[in-house]
Amino acid sequence: MHTHTQDTDTERKWDAASRTLDIVSFAEDRRIGPHKRRLFAKMRGATLMVAAGTGNDFKFFPPNLHIVSIDISPKMLERAARKAAVYSGAIELRKMDVCNLEFPDSTFDTVATAFTFCSVPKPVIGLRELRRVLKPDGQLIMIEHVRSAIGPLGIFMDFMTPLTSRIGPSLNRDTVGNVQKAGFRLRRVENVYLDVVKIIEAVKGDAA
Amino acid sequence: MLFSIGDYLAGVLIGVATTLAVRALVWPGMDMVIGMLIGMAAGTVVHLLLGFILAPLVGMFETMVPASLIGMYGGMLFGMRDSMAAGSLTLTSAATVGAIFGAIVVLGVKVYNRILQGAVFEANN
Repeated sequence: MHTHTQDTDTERKWDAASRTLDIVSFAEDRRIGPHKRRLFAKMRGATLMVAAGTGNDFKFFPPNLHIVSIDISPKMLERAARKAAVYSGAIELRKMDVCNLEFPDSTFDTVATAFTFCSVPKPVIGLRELRRVLKPDGQLIMIEHVRSAIGPLGIFMDFMTPLTSRIGPSLNRDTVGNVQKAGFRLRRVENVYLDVVKIIEAVKGDAA
Repeated sequence: MLFSIGDYLAGVLIGVATTLAVRALVWPGMDMVIGMLIGMAAGTVVHLLLGFILAPLVGMFETMVPASLIGMYGGMLFGMRDSMAAGSLTLTSAATVGAIFGAIVVLGVKVYNRILQGAVFEANN
């Protein structure tokens, strides 16, 4: 049972951020891009990409796939549409809140995210939705930034999150823990930059 | 390679800017604890302001992590030094120490990144 309430605060925040996202992520795109390409190479079958953003990640997708990509922000999707148009396969863009997915159970073979669950206000609910729409043998592949376990850095992230979450992401999310809380079974976790940027691979696993 | 040079330049810039901000706010004879707290606050503000400018050029994470360490901890150390007037009496020598501190923090983060990179969990099946 899903209640289709609209998270307008989050929508407004990311509508505003859409104007500067490409500039802010210019260098990050080039530094983290190869890791995204390596991760997205694992996409197979019916694929859902959560949080299209401005479509910056589309260039890292393997060619000739059919991918559904959602975002809560209409402004982000407007910009993403231009990048989706030049992708060699097909990217279907839909406005949707990850906490209220409009897809039936067991729809996708792969769900992918890139720096998404730092920004979802209720991450475990969102991850449970992803688990619901995954087929029983489906896979979740994520590249996310998380709270560092390095003492001073983790404390800094805790202090900064009330500020950063007003205009963008939270810095102190425990996304690996949240993936497990949502009922997924971890398959692989990899540090990409310190212990802050991680690749997380999981499967549907047993019921939560 | 260019990004790596950019990382060091960003670290040096934040180290120098933190030094100058602390020198402007902390004077010899100030209580050391107060000096350290002011230094930390000044370093935090400086690294946040510069971080927003530098992040699009060298990367958000690669800027934020060293910058936070340089700003907060460098600010505290510089505040302690300036409250005691212990060394680096000229602005040039203080700025040089700030630049060296910034570059060393960047190097330390890079080395630690090399150590931490890679798989931390792999399921057997």
